Order: sequence, then structure tokens, then C-alpha cells
Amino acid sequence: MQLKKPGSVPTALMAASCALLGASTAKADDSYESDDWQVDSALLYYKEDQQRVQAIEPVVSLKRDFGDDRSLGVKLTYDSLSGGSPNGALPSHSPQTFATPSGASLQAPSGEPQTYTTSSGRVVALLEKVTLYTTEPGQLPLDPNFHDQRVAFSTSWQQRLGEQMRLSVGGDLSHEQDFMSAGLNAALARDFNNKNTTLSFGTNLEADAIRPIGGAPVGGTDYTQLQKGGNESKTVGGVLFGVTQVLSRRWLAQLNYSYDASHGYQTDPYKLLSVIDAGGNAVGYRFENRPDNRTRQSVFLENKLALGRDVLDLSLRHMKDNWGIKSQTADLRYRLELGNAMYIEPHARYYKQNAASFYNLYLNAADPAPDVMSADPRLGAFDAMTYGLKLGMTLADKSEVSIRLEQYRQNARDVPAAFGQLQGLDLNPGLKSFIFQVGWRFSF
Amino acid sequence: MTFAKFAAVCAALIVCASARGDTTFDLASYAGKVIYLDFWASWCAPCRQSFPWMDSVQREYMSKGLVVVGVNVDQERALAETFLKQMSPHFRIVFDPKGALAETYKVSGMPASFIIDRHGTVRFHHLGFRDDAKPRLDAELNTVLAEK
Amino acid sequence: MMRRVAALAALLCAVAATSGCSTIGVKPWQRDLLAKPEMQLDADPLDAAIDEHVYFSKEASSGGRGFGGGGCGCN
Repeated sequence: MQLKKPGSVPTALMAASCALLGASTAKADDSYESDDWQVDSALLYYKEDQQRVQAIEPVVSLKRDFGDDRSLGVKLTYDSLSGGSPNGALPSHSPQTFATPSGASLQAPSGEPQTYTTSSGRVVALLEKVTLYTTEPGQLPLDPNFHDQRVAFSTSWQQRLGEQMRLSVGGDLSHEQDFMSAGLNAALARDFNNKNTTLSFGTNLEADAIRPIGGAPVGGTDYTQLQKGGNESKTVGGVLFGVTQVLSRRWLAQLNYSYDASHGYQTDPYKLLSVIDAGGNAVGYRFENRPDNRTRQSVFLENKLALGRDVLDLSLRHMKDNWGIKSQTADLRYRLELGNAMYIEPHARYYKQNAASFYNLYLNAADPAPDVMSADPRLGAFDAMTYGLKLGMTLADKSEVSIRLEQYRQNARDVPAAFGQLQGLDLNPGLKSFIFQVGWRFSF
Repeated sequence: MTFAKFAAVCAALIVCASARGDTTFDLASYAGKVIYLDFWASWCAPCRQSFPWMDSVQREYMSKGLVVVGVNVDQERALAETFLKQMSPHFRIVFDPKGALAETYKVSGMPASFIIDRHGTVRFHHLGFRDDAKPRLDAELNTVLAEK
Repeated sequence: MMRRVAALAALLCAVAATSGCSTIGVKPWQRDLLAKPEMQLDADPLDAAIDEHVYFSKEASSGGRGFGGGGCGCN
């Protein structure tokens, strides 16, 4: 740019007011140092009603900024689970007795452990030393031995690749008594239009080792036979394509399409289905059995709007998989600034899904057992609502503390009418739970 | 050069960052001077690294005729004032909240800096501020300052 | 339905990347609000991870979130 103007002596612009400044040897306020480390921590308490699952989960995440847009993050999560989890069987007016998953083997009258060969030629041992638990009449059968500890570690490295591109690579590990997982992920983001548009691509790969307590049951078999095998595994791979667009000074939107495929053992080894006869009596139980592959696609749209000093966050997601499940999610948060150091953030989330094609609340005794089946409420048709409130405060030392309370309610849909001996029982009570979380974030 | 003279020269060239700060930038009034024109904002993290460097460069090359001008593009003046209070720069600050000056110079990234020679021509143009860019910026300043 | 959405997304990408879409967006010096920490897509990563873990355990869907974009656009 060229601007040729006749020269002139620079005037002593506001020299008087600034003589002090120019003459003084006052140094710049160097008490402001850039913080290289950022710590984000939270403690979660999760509790479901009806003596179901309870979890306590502390999480700590550390991020180190190396300058020039390079940063390293590590996160450690510890999860302690207790309580009971529904085992998939229906409630009954009579007490029901089940074996805990740790059931090791059933001894034949001859005293010798028996073996059984599956149709695919796999030899599994029949079990002995079964420990039993009884569900009271009218109660939803819960496996009371659902306690576990999980430790998870994840790390990620982010850096720039040229002026307009960023790279992120990471890994994660997770370990609990009956499940171990290791994963890798990588993502690239490229800016366009003066960084108003960003295209991103991400991929992840995960390998899981499933070691059910007492061995993985042979899927779909008669539960009372306790036919169990060994360990299982599965692998998951996924890709994500995203567009982030600045729509105005106040509005940022992101649209993502993701696809993932999971191959291997997808069944929940501890879950059953009740076999019900024409009179509504439970005449038996079967282990569930899910397909060994699952592919999912989802489209996700998020909007962030700066309204005054507040921020509105609205996201929508649509998911479809090859198990016949379709879901819709709508999530709304409004961060309301109160004064200079405090905010309150109400939250509402609506979720809806339909049932998997192989989902059955129970099996009919008259029908032959299907190949694949599950009564896991996670795969059933339901609506869910979450209402929550978060309060955050910035303290004098610039750290931020927060407290969050959310209530989650899941309501089953399309529940078949209770007939015969099932009358008067709530066949699918849904789920009620709350999340209570405290958080602390600071830099140094 | 005695300290008093030095201070007087600085005083003649520096505008302090205050609410009465300048909102205009008249290139013509700088003829004969080399200008380091920097566009910054309180919300721009790399700008925090650039301020101490711009301070030191202003001090070092003032006698050779360098004027550092920091153009602020914050839409909320209060945020800029807080930033200036923390950084206490000793170079000229111009406020451009509507972005008219940024538009004129076709700023395409933040921060953006322009090295303008004694005849008012933009000689070097940089986007962003990184530590490893400092030697190059120094070299460019020396080149332009050496010219008549 | 998925095909149509995928096609739409691909079209948006193509338009954004090639035609310049210079009318949509802001000037580099107008990113003050976008630079705010609470305006980042990953503003509360722990909350998001905790929620994701809870919903993954109780529902059949998970994920969807991405990486990159927005912010101050500096450097």
C-alpha cells in the first residue's frame, strides 16, 4: 500500500500528558505471565432410583501449552460402580432365583464337569459352583453384584501443520474387571475463508477385550444350563467429516457426519430374556444374543450463539444403525452471566429412540427361540428427558468452581400389555437417575 | 543523548493508552519515520506475546526513527483498557473499534503487522505473532530503518 | 435420508472451500465474541465427556461431536 504525502514534522501529540510515561522507568506489568498448564477436574456422583446403579467418578485432565499452537493433554478417570443392574428378565408375582454371573460350573450327578459342543464346533464347559440371588415378587430383577472399578487414561497431542491446518492425535486405555479397551484417534482440520470455514476429518480405531466373569455364555441358550465359554473381543472403527462455519459475529455452527462399524462380541454377557407362556407364567430364561456386527451413521449439528454476554448452545443429532435403531437428540443450554464472576446454565435434553429389530421385552414359549434377541432396555423404544442446572463461579485466584445437578428420566414406549399372570406388574418401569457433579478448573 | 533529551523525544512520539487515546491514524504525519503498525485485540492471545517485544523494539530503535503504533480493534473499549493496564505498553495506541483502519489495510488475520517505510510504503506484512518470527522482524526493521 | 444429508454436507463443503463464500462469516478483527472461552465448541470438555459416558451406558446412541473451528482465528 502506498501513501505518499508531503513530509511534516511529527507534532508532540499529547506530549504533556505523556511526559510522565515517557520519562518514567515504570516497567510493564509483568505479573501477567501466560499460564502454560491448565487443570480441569470434576467429581461425579450418579445415582439411579430403585437401588439400581450408583457411580462415583473423579476425573482429572491436564493440558500443557507449548506455544505456537502445540499442546499436550492427558486425562485420568476413575469410576466406581455399585448397586444393581436389570438383568433383562421380567418381574413376576412369584420370587425368581438367578445365578450370579460368576457362576463357575455346574456339576453333573456323576461328579464330573460336563462339556458341551456348540453348533460351530466350539467346546464349552458346563459350570459348577453357582451362587444364587432371589428377586422378590413384583420387583424388577436386578443383578445385585454389579460392582466394578474402572480406570481410564487418555492422551492427545495437537499441533499446527502449516498456516491453515491443525492435527490432533491421541490414544486411550480403559480397564475394568471384565472389559479392557485400547484406542487410537487422529483428526485434521483445515481453515478456509479467513478461518470462517473449517473442514475436519477424524478417524478412530478401538480394540476391546471382553472377559465376562464366569466366561461368556453361549448366546441364546437356555439360561439354566449355564453353558459358558471363555473370553471375547471386538473392534470398532469410525470416521467423521465436519464443517464448522462462522455465520455471524455471534453465531458459530458445526455440522458433522460420522460413520462407525463395530465387529465382534456385541452381546451383554450378563443379560437374559424371560420365556413367557400363554398364561403369563415365566417358564424359563435365555441368554441374550446380539448380531456380531453393528454399523451406525449419525448427523450432528451444533449452534453456539452469543446473546449479549450470554451464550446459547443448541445441538441436534440424528442416528441410524443397522440394528434398526433410529434416534433423535435435541440438547439446549443457556449460559446466563450473573455479574462478572458467576454464571448459571440451565439445560434441557430430549432423546428418543425406537427399538432394535431384535429387541423383545420377553420371548414367547410357543415360538422357537430367535437367533438374535435382547431385552436390554438400552435397545428398546423409549423417550428420555434431562433437566439440569449448572452454577459456575470464578474465584479471586482466577480459578473456576462449578456445581451441576441433572435429572434424567427414561420412559419406555410400546410396552406390550401385561396379560395373565403378568397383570399388575410394571413390565418396563423405565429409568430415573440424577447426576451431581462438582468441578474445579485452574491454570498455572 | 542525555536521559532528559531521550525522555523528551519519547514524550514527543508516544501517546499513552488512556480513554483519551487517539482514534485516528494519519500516515502523512509520520513522513520520514518508519512505522511498525500492529493490529491487536484484548481477545487475541498471541498479542500478549507481541506487546513486550514491540515495547523493546520501540525503545531500541526510537533513536533511528521507528514508531510503533498499536491499533486496537476491540468493540468493547473496557476490555482493551484492562489489557493495556496489564501490559503497560510504551508505544502509541490507536483505537479502531469500527474496524475502518483494519479495512483500509485489508487485515486478513489477527494479529496483523505492517512495516511502513519513511515514504509511507508498506514494505513487509505479517499475520500472526510467533516467537521464532522475532529475528526476521528485527532484520526487516533494520533494513527499512537503514534506508533514507 | 442419510444420503440426502451426506450430499448436502458435501455440497456445503464444496461451496465453502471453492467459491470462497466470502459473504458468510466475519472479518478477522470481528472475532471478539467468537474468541470467548464459552463460545468454543469444546467449552466444557469434562461435562461433555461425563454426559457422553452416562448416555452411552443408558442409550443406544453415542458421539457425533467433532474437532476444530470457531475461536479467535489468531496465528
